Amino acid sequence: MSAPHNDANFGIGTLCMISICVKNLNKRYRARDGDVPALADVNIEVREGEFVTIVGPSGCGKSTLLYILGGFLGADAGTIEVNGKAVTGPGVDRGIVFQEYALFPWLTVAQNIRYGLEMSGTPGRQCAEIVERLVRTIGLQGFEHRFPRELSGGMKQRVAIARTLAYDPKILLLDEPFGALDALTREGMQDELLRLWQATRKTVVMVTHDVNEAVYLSGRVLVMSQRPGRIVQEFPVTIDRAGEREVTVLNDDFNHLRNEVWLAVRRQAGANAGASEAARDA
Amino acid sequence: MALSVAPRAWLQGGSLSSWLRAAARYLPIAIVVLVWQLVVEFDLVDRAFLPSFSETVRALWEMTRNGEIVVNLLVSLYRALGGLLIGSILGVAIGLAMATSRRADQFFGPLVATTYSLPKTSLVPLFILWFGIGNVTNMLSVVLACLLPVIVSTYHGVKAVPPVIVWSARAMGTPHRLVLWRILLPSASLSIFTGIRIALGFCFVLTISAEMIASRTGIGKLIFFYGESGAYAYMFGGLLAIVIVAYAADRALLAAMHYFLRWHDSIHAAHAGG
Repeated sequence: MSAPHNDANFGIGTLCMISICVKNLNKRYRARDGDVPALADVNIEVREGEFVTIVGPSGCGKSTLLYILGGFLGADAGTIEVNGKAVTGPGVDRGIVFQEYALFPWLTVAQNIRYGLEMSGTPGRQCAEIVERLVRTIGLQGFEHRFPRELSGGMKQRVAIARTLAYDPKILLLDEPFGALDALTREGMQDELLRLWQATRKTVVMVTHDVNEAVYLSGRVLVMSQRPGRIVQEFPVTIDRAGEREVTVLNDDFNHLRNEVWLAVRRQAGANAGASEAARDA
Repeated sequence: MALSVAPRAWLQGGSLSSWLRAAARYLPIAIVVLVWQLVVEFDLVDRAFLPSFSETVRALWEMTRNGEIVVNLLVSLYRALGGLLIGSILGVAIGLAMATSRRADQFFGPLVATTYSLPKTSLVPLFILWFGIGNVTNMLSVVLACLLPVIVSTYHGVKAVPPVIVWSARAMGTPHRLVLWRILLPSASLSIFTGIRIALGFCFVLTISAEMIASRTGIGKLIFFYGESGAYAYMFGGLLAIVIVAYAADRALLAAMHYFLRWHDSIHAAHAGG
Protein backbone atom coordinates (compact mmCIF):
# COMPACT_ATOMS: atom_id res chain seq x y z
CA MET A 1 0.00 0.00 0.00
CA SER A 2 2.12 2.86 1.29
CA ALA A 3 5.42 1.11 0.93
CA PRO A 4 7.81 4.05 1.31
CA HIS A 5 6.14 5.08 4.54
CA ASN A 6 6.40 1.57 5.92
CA ASP A 7 10.06 1.30 5.00
CA ALA A 8 10.84 4.48 6.88
CA ASN A 9 9.71 3.09 10.22
CA PHE A 10 9.97 -0.66 9.93
CA GLY A 11 10.47 -2.54 13.17
CA ILE A 12 8.21 -1.34 15.96
CA GLY A 13 6.09 0.66 13.53
CA THR A 14 5.14 -2.26 11.30
CA LEU A 15 4.64 -4.57 14.27
CA CYS A 16 1.88 -2.35 15.56
CA MET A 17 0.00 -2.09 12.26
CA ILE A 18 -3.56 -3.20 12.82
CA SER A 19 -4.72 -5.52 10.07
CA ILE A 20 -8.20 -6.42 11.24
CA CYS A 21 -10.30 -4.36 13.61
CA VAL A 22 -13.74 -5.55 14.72
CA LYS A 23 -15.78 -3.32 17.02
CA ASN A 24 -19.09 -4.12 18.75
CA LEU A 25 -20.05 -6.66 16.13
CA ASN A 26 -23.56 -8.08 16.44
CA LYS A 27 -25.17 -10.65 14.21
CA ARG A 28 -28.56 -12.33 14.29
CA TYR A 29 -29.88 -15.16 12.18
CA ARG A 30 -33.46 -14.95 11.00
CA ALA A 31 -35.31 -18.12 11.85
CA ARG A 32 -38.96 -19.05 11.49
CA ASP A 33 -39.66 -18.54 15.20
CA GLY A 34 -37.91 -15.19 15.54
CA ASP A 35 -34.30 -14.07 15.41
CA VAL A 36 -31.47 -16.12 16.85
CA PRO A 37 -28.56 -14.06 18.17
CA ALA A 38 -25.33 -15.50 16.76
CA LEU A 39 -22.71 -12.96 17.83
CA ALA A 40 -22.95 -10.37 20.59
CA ASP A 41 -20.57 -7.45 21.01
CA VAL A 42 -17.50 -9.04 19.51
CA ASN A 43 -14.35 -6.93 19.65
CA ILE A 44 -11.17 -8.14 18.02
CA GLU A 45 -7.94 -6.57 16.89
CA VAL A 46 -5.43 -8.50 14.84
CA ARG A 47 -2.03 -7.04 14.11
CA GLU A 48 -0.37 -7.46 10.76
CA GLY A 49 1.52 -10.75 10.54
CA GLU A 50 -0.21 -12.15 13.60
CA PHE A 51 -1.64 -15.68 13.79
CA VAL A 52 -4.83 -15.57 15.82
CA THR A 53 -7.05 -18.55 16.52
CA ILE A 54 -10.63 -18.46 17.74
CA VAL A 55 -11.77 -21.52 19.66
CA GLY A 56 -15.15 -22.23 21.16
CA PRO A 57 -17.87 -24.82 21.53
CA SER A 58 -19.55 -25.89 18.32
CA GLY A 59 -22.38 -23.62 17.23
CA CYS A 60 -20.94 -20.61 19.08
CA GLY A 61 -20.81 -18.49 15.94
CA LYS A 62 -17.06 -18.61 15.31
CA SER A 63 -17.51 -19.60 11.67
CA THR A 64 -20.11 -16.85 11.30
CA LEU A 65 -17.51 -14.38 12.56
CA LEU A 66 -15.06 -15.62 9.92
CA TYR A 67 -17.68 -15.35 7.16
CA ILE A 68 -18.38 -11.76 8.22
CA LEU A 69 -14.63 -11.02 8.06
CA GLY A 70 -14.61 -12.60 4.62
CA GLY A 71 -17.44 -10.31 3.56
CA PHE A 72 -19.81 -13.17 2.73
CA LEU A 73 -22.27 -12.27 5.45
CA GLY A 74 -23.27 -8.83 6.64
CA ALA A 75 -23.21 -7.70 10.26
CA ASP A 76 -26.30 -6.29 11.96
CA ALA A 77 -24.32 -3.79 14.01
CA GLY A 78 -20.71 -2.82 14.58
CA THR A 79 -17.77 -2.02 12.37
CA ILE A 80 -15.36 -4.36 10.61
CA GLU A 81 -12.26 -2.82 9.16
CA VAL A 82 -9.50 -4.51 7.25
CA ASN A 83 -6.35 -2.46 6.72
CA GLY A 84 -8.30 0.64 7.66
CA LYS A 85 -11.10 0.05 5.17
CA ALA A 86 -14.63 -1.03 6.06
CA VAL A 87 -15.53 -4.49 4.79
CA THR A 88 -18.43 -4.33 2.34
CA GLY A 89 -18.00 -7.67 0.56
CA PRO A 90 -15.50 -10.33 -0.39
CA GLY A 91 -12.10 -9.10 -1.50
CA VAL A 92 -8.84 -10.53 -2.76
CA ASP A 93 -7.02 -9.06 0.24
CA ARG A 94 -8.64 -11.83 2.32
CA GLY A 95 -8.14 -15.41 1.19
CA ILE A 96 -10.34 -18.05 2.75
CA VAL A 97 -9.95 -21.80 3.20
CA PHE A 98 -13.05 -23.76 4.10
CA GLN A 99 -13.32 -26.97 6.06
CA GLU A 100 -15.05 -28.68 3.14
CA TYR A 101 -12.34 -27.37 0.76
CA ALA A 102 -14.84 -25.78 -1.67
CA LEU A 103 -12.58 -26.60 -4.60
CA PHE A 104 -14.17 -26.27 -8.02
CA PRO A 105 -14.80 -29.94 -8.87
CA TRP A 106 -14.94 -29.29 -12.63
CA LEU A 107 -11.40 -27.86 -12.68
CA THR A 108 -8.19 -29.83 -12.36
CA VAL A 109 -5.67 -29.24 -9.57
CA ALA A 110 -3.67 -26.87 -11.76
CA GLN A 111 -6.78 -25.03 -12.98
CA ASN A 112 -8.05 -24.64 -9.42
CA ILE A 113 -4.77 -23.07 -8.30
CA ARG A 114 -4.69 -20.92 -11.42
CA TYR A 115 -8.24 -19.63 -11.00
CA GLY A 116 -7.53 -16.67 -8.70
CA LEU A 117 -4.58 -15.63 -10.85
CA GLU A 118 -6.77 -15.60 -13.95
CA MET A 119 -9.31 -13.43 -12.17
CA SER A 120 -6.61 -10.94 -11.24
CA GLY A 121 -5.47 -10.80 -14.87
CA THR A 122 -2.01 -12.22 -14.25
CA PRO A 123 -0.27 -12.94 -17.57
CA GLY A 124 -0.24 -16.59 -18.69
CA ARG A 125 3.48 -17.19 -18.36
CA GLN A 126 3.53 -15.89 -14.81
CA CYS A 127 0.43 -17.95 -13.94
CA ALA A 128 2.13 -21.11 -15.11
CA GLU A 129 5.22 -20.35 -13.04
CA ILE A 130 3.26 -19.68 -9.86
CA VAL A 131 1.11 -22.77 -10.35
CA GLU A 132 4.20 -24.91 -10.91
CA ARG A 133 5.90 -23.55 -7.81
CA LEU A 134 2.82 -24.08 -5.63
CA VAL A 135 2.22 -27.60 -6.93
CA ARG A 136 5.79 -28.36 -5.90
CA THR A 137 5.30 -26.68 -2.51
CA ILE A 138 2.29 -28.84 -1.71
CA GLY A 139 4.00 -31.94 -3.11
CA LEU A 140 1.38 -32.73 -5.73
CA GLN A 141 3.64 -33.06 -8.77
CA GLY A 142 2.06 -35.53 -11.16
CA PHE A 143 -1.43 -34.67 -9.91
CA GLU A 144 -1.75 -31.36 -11.78
CA HIS A 145 -4.31 -32.71 -14.21
CA ARG A 146 -6.36 -34.72 -11.73
CA PHE A 147 -9.82 -33.61 -10.71
CA PRO A 148 -10.59 -33.01 -7.02
CA ARG A 149 -12.69 -36.17 -6.79
CA GLU A 150 -9.56 -38.19 -7.50
CA LEU A 151 -7.72 -36.71 -4.49
CA SER A 152 -7.65 -37.66 -0.81
CA GLY A 153 -8.92 -35.22 1.82
CA GLY A 154 -5.41 -34.09 2.71
CA MET A 155 -4.52 -33.48 -0.92
CA LYS A 156 -7.71 -31.51 -1.48
CA GLN A 157 -6.97 -29.30 1.49
CA ARG A 158 -3.44 -28.70 0.20
CA VAL A 159 -4.90 -27.59 -3.13
CA ALA A 160 -7.39 -25.36 -1.32
CA ILE A 161 -4.57 -23.66 0.57
CA ALA A 162 -2.40 -23.43 -2.55
CA ARG A 163 -5.11 -21.79 -4.63
CA THR A 164 -5.60 -19.21 -1.88
CA LEU A 165 -1.86 -18.54 -1.65
CA ALA A 166 -1.61 -18.26 -5.44
CA TYR A 167 -3.02 -14.75 -5.64
CA ASP A 168 -1.13 -13.73 -2.52
CA PRO A 169 -3.78 -12.27 -0.20
CA LYS A 170 -2.52 -10.29 2.80
CA ILE A 171 -4.85 -12.11 5.17
CA LEU A 172 -5.70 -15.80 5.43
CA LEU A 173 -9.02 -16.79 6.95
CA LEU A 174 -9.07 -20.48 7.86
CA ASP A 175 -12.39 -22.09 8.76
CA GLU A 176 -11.55 -25.35 10.57
CA PRO A 177 -9.21 -26.14 7.70
CA PHE A 178 -8.09 -29.52 9.03
CA GLY A 179 -11.32 -30.59 10.68
CA ALA A 180 -12.16 -33.23 8.09
CA LEU A 181 -8.73 -34.89 8.10
CA ASP A 182 -7.48 -37.88 10.04
CA ALA A 183 -5.21 -37.18 13.03
CA LEU A 184 -1.88 -37.93 11.33
CA THR A 185 -2.64 -35.99 8.17
CA ARG A 186 -3.90 -33.13 10.29
CA GLU A 187 -0.62 -32.92 12.21
CA GLY A 188 1.37 -32.95 8.99
CA MET A 189 -0.80 -30.19 7.55
CA GLN A 190 -0.45 -28.13 10.74
CA ASP A 191 3.31 -28.31 10.47
CA GLU A 192 3.14 -27.28 6.83
CA LEU A 193 0.92 -24.34 7.72
CA LEU A 194 3.27 -23.31 10.51
CA ARG A 195 6.28 -23.37 8.18
CA LEU A 196 4.31 -21.46 5.61
CA TRP A 197 3.29 -18.78 8.08
CA GLN A 198 6.83 -18.48 9.40
CA ALA A 199 8.05 -18.02 5.84
CA THR A 200 5.41 -15.53 4.66
CA ARG A 201 4.25 -13.88 7.92
CA LYS A 202 0.77 -13.38 6.58
CA THR A 203 -1.97 -12.31 8.93
CA VAL A 204 -3.93 -15.43 9.81
CA VAL A 205 -7.28 -15.77 11.53
CA MET A 206 -8.18 -19.39 12.12
CA VAL A 207 -11.31 -20.90 13.59
CA THR A 208 -11.14 -24.34 15.16
CA HIS A 209 -12.52 -26.45 17.97
CA ASP A 210 -9.22 -28.25 18.36
CA VAL A 211 -7.48 -26.63 21.36
CA ASN A 212 -4.23 -28.47 20.66
CA GLU A 213 -4.16 -27.08 17.14
CA ALA A 214 -4.94 -23.57 18.35
CA VAL A 215 -2.10 -23.46 20.87
CA TYR A 216 0.35 -25.26 18.60
CA LEU A 217 -0.11 -22.85 15.71
CA SER A 218 -1.12 -19.42 16.88
CA GLY A 219 0.36 -16.45 18.64
CA ARG A 220 -2.88 -15.67 20.40
CA VAL A 221 -5.91 -17.79 21.22
CA LEU A 222 -9.33 -16.21 21.71
CA VAL A 223 -12.01 -18.23 23.48
CA MET A 224 -15.60 -17.70 22.46
CA SER A 225 -18.68 -18.27 24.58
CA GLN A 226 -21.72 -20.31 23.71
CA ARG A 227 -24.22 -18.64 21.38
CA PRO A 228 -24.57 -15.72 21.19
CA GLY A 229 -20.81 -15.80 20.75
CA ARG A 230 -18.59 -13.23 22.42
CA ILE A 231 -14.88 -13.27 23.16
CA VAL A 232 -14.63 -14.25 26.81
CA GLN A 233 -10.93 -14.97 27.27
CA GLU A 234 -7.64 -14.31 25.57
CA PHE A 235 -4.43 -16.32 25.83
CA PRO A 236 -1.17 -15.01 24.40
CA VAL A 237 0.96 -17.95 23.28
CA THR A 238 4.66 -17.54 23.90
CA ILE A 239 5.88 -21.09 23.49
CA ASP A 240 9.13 -21.86 21.69
CA ARG A 241 8.46 -23.29 18.23
CA ALA A 242 12.03 -23.50 17.04
CA GLY A 243 12.27 -27.29 17.39
CA GLU A 244 10.39 -30.25 16.02
CA ARG A 245 6.77 -30.92 16.81
CA GLU A 246 7.69 -33.44 19.54
CA VAL A 247 9.84 -30.88 21.32
CA THR A 248 7.10 -28.27 21.26
CA VAL A 249 4.24 -30.54 22.23
CA LEU A 250 6.07 -32.33 25.06
CA ASN A 251 7.13 -29.02 26.57
CA ASP A 252 5.59 -28.11 29.94
CA ASP A 253 4.74 -24.55 28.87
CA PHE A 254 2.78 -25.89 25.93
CA ASN A 255 0.87 -28.39 28.02
CA HIS A 256 0.15 -25.94 30.77
CA LEU A 257 -1.27 -23.41 28.33
CA ARG A 258 -3.20 -26.03 26.39
CA ASN A 259 -4.83 -27.26 29.60
CA GLU A 260 -5.79 -23.72 30.54
CA VAL A 261 -7.37 -23.04 27.16
CA TRP A 262 -9.06 -26.43 27.21
CA LEU A 263 -10.59 -25.66 30.62
CA ALA A 264 -11.75 -22.26 29.41
CA VAL A 265 -13.49 -23.78 26.37
CA ARG A 266 -14.94 -26.55 28.53
CA ARG A 267 -16.36 -24.01 30.94
CA GLN A 268 -18.14 -22.38 28.00
CA ALA A 269 -19.53 -25.67 26.73
CA GLY A 270 -20.47 -26.65 30.28
CA ALA A 271 -22.16 -23.32 30.95
CA ASN A 272 -24.61 -24.04 28.20
CA ALA A 273 -25.17 -27.67 29.20
CA GLY A 274 -26.03 -26.44 32.70
CA ALA A 275 -28.35 -23.78 31.30
CA SER A 276 -30.24 -26.20 29.08
CA GLU A 277 -30.60 -28.61 32.00
CA ALA A 278 -32.02 -25.82 34.10
CA ALA A 279 -34.42 -24.99 31.28
CA ARG A 280 -35.56 -28.58 31.11
CA ASP A 281 -36.15 -28.69 34.87
CA ALA A 282 -38.19 -25.50 34.84
CA MET B 1 -25.12 -68.38 -1.02
CA ALA B 2 -23.11 -70.41 -3.48
CA LEU B 3 -26.03 -70.48 -5.85
CA SER B 4 -26.37 -66.71 -5.92
CA VAL B 5 -22.65 -66.25 -6.52
CA ALA B 6 -22.24 -68.84 -9.25
CA PRO B 7 -24.16 -67.19 -12.10
CA ARG B 8 -22.34 -63.94 -11.50
CA ALA B 9 -18.92 -65.53 -11.39
CA TRP B 10 -18.88 -66.46 -15.06
CA LEU B 11 -20.10 -62.99 -16.01
CA GLN B 12 -17.11 -61.32 -14.37
CA GLY B 13 -13.68 -60.88 -15.88
CA GLY B 14 -12.42 -62.01 -19.27
CA SER B 15 -13.27 -60.47 -22.61
CA LEU B 16 -15.82 -63.11 -23.57
CA SER B 17 -17.89 -62.62 -20.42
CA SER B 18 -17.78 -58.82 -20.69
CA TRP B 19 -19.00 -59.22 -24.26
CA LEU B 20 -21.78 -61.45 -22.97
CA ARG B 21 -22.71 -58.87 -20.35
CA ALA B 22 -23.00 -56.18 -23.03
CA ALA B 23 -25.12 -58.53 -25.12
CA ALA B 24 -27.30 -59.30 -22.09
CA ARG B 25 -28.31 -55.62 -22.01
CA TYR B 26 -30.08 -56.06 -25.32
CA LEU B 27 -31.60 -59.42 -24.45
CA PRO B 28 -35.04 -58.01 -23.54
CA ILE B 29 -35.21 -56.26 -26.92
CA ALA B 30 -34.18 -59.46 -28.70
CA ILE B 31 -36.92 -61.36 -26.86
CA VAL B 32 -39.60 -58.85 -27.84
CA VAL B 33 -38.48 -58.93 -31.49
CA LEU B 34 -38.45 -62.73 -31.45
CA VAL B 35 -41.92 -62.96 -29.91
CA TRP B 36 -43.14 -60.39 -32.45
CA GLN B 37 -41.75 -62.45 -35.34
CA LEU B 38 -43.07 -65.76 -34.03
CA VAL B 39 -46.54 -64.47 -33.20
CA VAL B 40 -46.95 -63.38 -36.83
CA GLU B 41 -45.15 -66.42 -38.22
CA PHE B 42 -47.53 -68.83 -36.49
CA ASP B 43 -50.57 -66.73 -37.45
CA LEU B 44 -51.52 -65.93 -33.87
CA VAL B 45 -52.48 -62.43 -35.03
CA ASP B 46 -53.81 -61.24 -38.36
CA ARG B 47 -50.96 -60.36 -40.75
CA ALA B 48 -53.07 -57.52 -42.10
CA PHE B 49 -52.87 -55.74 -38.77
CA LEU B 50 -49.35 -56.63 -37.66
CA PRO B 51 -46.55 -57.08 -40.16
CA SER B 52 -43.75 -59.36 -39.03
CA PHE B 53 -40.39 -58.01 -37.94
CA SER B 54 -38.70 -59.28 -41.09
CA GLU B 55 -41.30 -57.61 -43.30
CA THR B 56 -40.79 -54.37 -41.36
CA VAL B 57 -37.03 -54.53 -41.84
CA ARG B 58 -37.53 -55.25 -45.53
CA ALA B 59 -39.84 -52.25 -45.87
CA LEU B 60 -37.37 -50.04 -44.03
CA TRP B 61 -34.56 -51.24 -46.28
CA GLU B 62 -36.62 -50.47 -49.36
CA MET B 63 -37.48 -46.98 -48.11
CA THR B 64 -33.82 -46.42 -47.29
CA ARG B 65 -32.76 -47.43 -50.79
CA ASN B 66 -35.29 -45.25 -52.56
CA GLY B 67 -34.35 -42.32 -50.32
CA GLU B 68 -37.79 -41.86 -48.79
CA ILE B 69 -36.56 -42.46 -45.23
CA VAL B 70 -33.42 -40.35 -45.50
CA VAL B 71 -35.20 -37.26 -46.82
CA ASN B 72 -37.95 -37.39 -44.22
CA LEU B 73 -35.56 -38.31 -41.46
CA LEU B 74 -33.44 -35.26 -42.19
CA VAL B 75 -36.53 -33.05 -42.04
CA SER B 76 -37.61 -34.59 -38.72
CA LEU B 77 -34.12 -34.42 -37.26
CA TYR B 78 -33.85 -30.79 -38.24
CA ARG B 79 -37.08 -30.00 -36.43
CA ALA B 80 -36.38 -32.20 -33.42
CA LEU B 81 -32.77 -31.22 -32.77
CA GLY B 82 -33.29 -27.60 -33.82
CA GLY B 83 -36.21 -27.34 -31.41
CA LEU B 84 -34.17 -29.07 -28.72
CA LEU B 85 -31.28 -26.66 -29.21
CA ILE B 86 -33.48 -23.55 -29.05
CA GLY B 87 -35.50 -24.95 -26.16
CA SER B 88 -32.39 -25.89 -24.20
CA ILE B 89 -30.72 -22.50 -24.64
CA LEU B 90 -33.90 -20.68 -23.62
CA GLY B 91 -34.50 -23.17 -20.81
CA VAL B 92 -31.02 -22.74 -19.33
CA ALA B 93 -31.33 -18.95 -19.60
CA ILE B 94 -34.74 -18.85 -17.91
CA GLY B 95 -33.75 -21.43 -15.28
CA LEU B 96 -30.61 -19.44 -14.45
CA ALA B 97 -32.58 -16.21 -14.24
CA MET B 98 -35.17 -17.79 -11.96
CA ALA B 99 -32.53 -19.27 -9.66
CA THR B 100 -30.57 -16.05 -9.33
CA SER B 101 -33.22 -13.35 -9.42
CA ARG B 102 -36.24 -13.23 -7.19
CA ARG B 103 -38.10 -11.10 -9.71
CA ALA B 104 -37.54 -13.59 -12.53
CA ASP B 105 -38.63 -16.37 -10.19
CA GLN B 106 -41.83 -14.51 -9.37
CA PHE B 107 -42.55 -13.95 -13.04
CA PHE B 108 -41.68 -17.34 -14.54
CA GLY B 109 -42.48 -19.50 -11.51
CA PRO B 110 -46.27 -19.52 -11.86
CA LEU B 111 -46.01 -19.85 -15.67
CA VAL B 112 -43.81 -22.90 -15.38
CA ALA B 113 -45.95 -24.46 -12.65
CA THR B 114 -49.19 -24.09 -14.62
CA THR B 115 -47.87 -25.20 -18.01
CA TYR B 116 -45.63 -28.00 -16.76
CA SER B 117 -48.17 -30.80 -16.98
CA LEU B 118 -49.98 -29.43 -20.03
CA PRO B 119 -49.50 -31.81 -23.00
CA LYS B 120 -47.75 -29.60 -25.54
CA THR B 121 -49.37 -31.50 -28.43
CA SER B 122 -52.68 -29.96 -27.44
CA LEU B 123 -51.31 -26.61 -28.60
CA VAL B 124 -50.59 -27.84 -32.12
CA PRO B 125 -54.06 -26.98 -33.51
CA LEU B 126 -53.61 -23.46 -32.17
CA PHE B 127 -50.18 -23.16 -33.79
CA ILE B 128 -51.65 -24.38 -37.09
CA LEU B 129 -54.15 -21.57 -36.85
CA TRP B 130 -51.38 -19.02 -36.20
CA PHE B 131 -48.48 -20.30 -38.27
CA GLY B 132 -50.05 -22.75 -40.71
CA ILE B 133 -48.64 -26.15 -41.57
CA GLY B 134 -44.87 -26.50 -41.61
CA ASN B 135 -41.62 -25.98 -39.77
CA VAL B 136 -42.69 -23.12 -37.49
CA THR B 137 -45.61 -25.02 -36.01
CA ASN B 138 -43.55 -28.16 -35.65
CA MET B 139 -40.55 -26.55 -34.09
CA LEU B 140 -42.50 -24.27 -31.81
CA SER B 141 -44.21 -27.23 -30.18
CA VAL B 142 -40.84 -28.96 -29.80
CA VAL B 143 -39.29 -25.84 -28.27
CA LEU B 144 -42.11 -25.54 -25.76
CA ALA B 145 -41.88 -29.19 -24.78
CA CYS B 146 -38.10 -29.04 -24.34
CA LEU B 147 -38.19 -25.75 -22.49
CA LEU B 148 -39.86 -26.89 -19.29
CA PRO B 149 -37.70 -29.85 -18.21
CA VAL B 150 -34.59 -27.78 -18.95
CA ILE B 151 -35.90 -24.80 -16.95
CA VAL B 152 -36.77 -26.97 -13.97
CA SER B 153 -33.50 -28.92 -13.93
CA THR B 154 -31.39 -25.80 -14.43
CA TYR B 155 -33.25 -24.04 -11.63
CA HIS B 156 -32.75 -26.90 -9.18
CA GLY B 157 -29.16 -27.42 -10.28
CA VAL B 158 -28.25 -23.79 -9.66
CA LYS B 159 -30.16 -23.66 -6.37
CA ALA B 160 -28.18 -26.68 -5.18
CA VAL B 161 -24.77 -25.04 -5.75
CA PRO B 162 -23.13 -24.96 -2.29
CA PRO B 163 -22.74 -21.38 -1.01
CA VAL B 164 -19.07 -21.99 -0.16
CA ILE B 165 -18.36 -22.58 -3.85
CA VAL B 166 -19.78 -19.18 -4.75
CA TRP B 167 -18.09 -17.60 -1.74
CA SER B 168 -14.67 -18.91 -2.61
CA ALA B 169 -15.15 -17.73 -6.19
CA ARG B 170 -16.05 -14.27 -4.92
CA ALA B 171 -13.13 -14.27 -2.48
CA MET B 172 -10.81 -15.05 -5.40
CA GLY B 173 -12.01 -11.95 -7.17
CA THR B 174 -14.72 -13.28 -9.49
CA PRO B 175 -16.98 -10.39 -10.50
CA HIS B 176 -20.74 -10.98 -10.16
CA ARG B 177 -21.34 -11.27 -13.89
CA LEU B 178 -18.68 -13.98 -14.21
CA VAL B 179 -20.04 -16.06 -11.32
CA LEU B 180 -22.82 -17.15 -13.66
CA TRP B 181 -20.51 -18.46 -16.39
CA ARG B 182 -17.55 -19.63 -14.41
CA ILE B 183 -19.28 -21.06 -11.34
CA LEU B 184 -23.04 -21.59 -11.49
CA LEU B 185 -23.25 -23.13 -14.96
CA PRO B 186 -20.45 -25.68 -14.56
CA SER B 187 -21.54 -26.47 -11.03
CA ALA B 188 -25.11 -27.16 -12.18
CA SER B 189 -24.09 -28.91 -15.39
CA LEU B 190 -25.01 -32.45 -14.35
CA SER B 191 -28.51 -31.30 -13.51
CA ILE B 192 -28.74 -29.28 -16.73
CA PHE B 193 -27.56 -32.23 -18.83
CA THR B 194 -30.12 -34.46 -17.16
CA GLY B 195 -32.85 -31.97 -18.07
CA ILE B 196 -31.63 -31.83 -21.67
CA ARG B 197 -31.70 -35.61 -21.78
CA ILE B 198 -35.35 -35.63 -20.74
CA ALA B 199 -35.99 -32.93 -23.34
CA LEU B 200 -34.28 -35.08 -25.97
CA GLY B 201 -36.94 -37.72 -25.46
CA PHE B 202 -39.68 -35.10 -25.65
CA CYS B 203 -38.30 -33.55 -28.83
CA PHE B 204 -38.83 -36.75 -30.81
CA VAL B 205 -42.28 -37.34 -29.31
CA LEU B 206 -43.34 -33.82 -30.23
CA THR B 207 -41.78 -33.81 -33.69
CA ILE B 208 -43.49 -37.04 -34.70
CA SER B 209 -46.88 -36.19 -33.24
CA ALA B 210 -46.85 -32.63 -34.61
CA GLU B 211 -45.87 -33.94 -38.03
CA MET B 212 -48.81 -36.32 -37.97
CA ILE B 213 -51.18 -33.41 -37.49
CA ALA B 214 -49.49 -30.50 -39.16
CA SER B 215 -46.96 -31.37 -41.80
CA ARG B 216 -46.50 -32.57 -45.34
CA THR B 217 -43.05 -33.98 -44.67
CA GLY B 218 -41.12 -35.82 -41.97
CA ILE B 219 -41.11 -39.28 -40.47
CA GLY B 220 -44.29 -38.55 -38.53
CA LYS B 221 -46.11 -37.73 -41.76
CA LEU B 222 -44.64 -40.84 -43.38
CA ILE B 223 -45.87 -43.06 -40.55
CA PHE B 224 -49.28 -41.44 -40.64
CA PHE B 225 -49.52 -41.71 -44.43
CA TYR B 226 -48.67 -45.42 -44.55
CA GLY B 227 -50.93 -46.07 -41.58
CA GLU B 228 -53.84 -44.39 -43.35
CA SER B 229 -53.24 -46.30 -46.56
CA GLY B 230 -52.92 -49.63 -44.75
CA ALA B 231 -49.29 -50.30 -45.71
CA TYR B 232 -48.46 -51.37 -42.18
CA ALA B 233 -45.04 -52.83 -42.93
CA TYR B 234 -43.97 -49.38 -44.18
CA MET B 235 -45.61 -47.66 -41.23
CA PHE B 236 -43.67 -49.95 -38.90
CA GLY B 237 -40.55 -49.34 -40.97
CA GLY B 238 -40.88 -45.61 -40.34
CA LEU B 239 -41.40 -46.27 -36.63
CA LEU B 240 -38.34 -48.49 -36.52
CA ALA B 241 -36.26 -45.77 -38.19
CA ILE B 242 -37.24 -43.15 -35.61
CA VAL B 243 -36.67 -45.57 -32.73
CA ILE B 244 -33.14 -46.25 -33.98
CA VAL B 245 -32.37 -42.56 -34.49
CA ALA B 246 -33.79 -41.49 -31.13
CA TYR B 247 -31.87 -44.23 -29.37
CA ALA B 248 -28.64 -43.24 -31.13
CA ALA B 249 -29.22 -39.59 -30.21
CA ASP B 250 -29.71 -40.50 -26.55
CA ARG B 251 -26.54 -42.61 -26.56
CA ALA B 252 -24.62 -39.77 -28.16
CA LEU B 253 -25.85 -37.31 -25.54
CA LEU B 254 -24.95 -39.77 -22.80
CA ALA B 255 -21.46 -40.15 -24.23
CA ALA B 256 -21.09 -36.36 -24.36
CA MET B 257 -22.30 -36.12 -20.78
CA HIS B 258 -19.82 -38.77 -19.75
CA TYR B 259 -17.00 -36.86 -21.33
CA PHE B 260 -17.88 -33.35 -20.19
CA LEU B 261 -18.81 -34.43 -16.67
CA ARG B 262 -15.92 -36.81 -16.14
CA TRP B 263 -14.95 -34.69 -13.14
CA HIS B 264 -18.28 -35.38 -11.44
CA ASP B 265 -18.59 -37.82 -8.54
CA SER B 266 -21.90 -39.24 -9.61
CA ILE B 267 -21.43 -39.43 -13.37
CA HIS B 268 -21.30 -43.20 -13.13
CA ALA B 269 -24.55 -43.25 -11.21
CA ALA B 270 -26.08 -40.97 -13.85
CA HIS B 271 -24.88 -43.37 -16.52
CA ALA B 272 -26.68 -46.29 -14.94
CA GLY B 273 -29.98 -44.55 -15.65
CA GLY B 274 -29.78 -45.30 -19.33
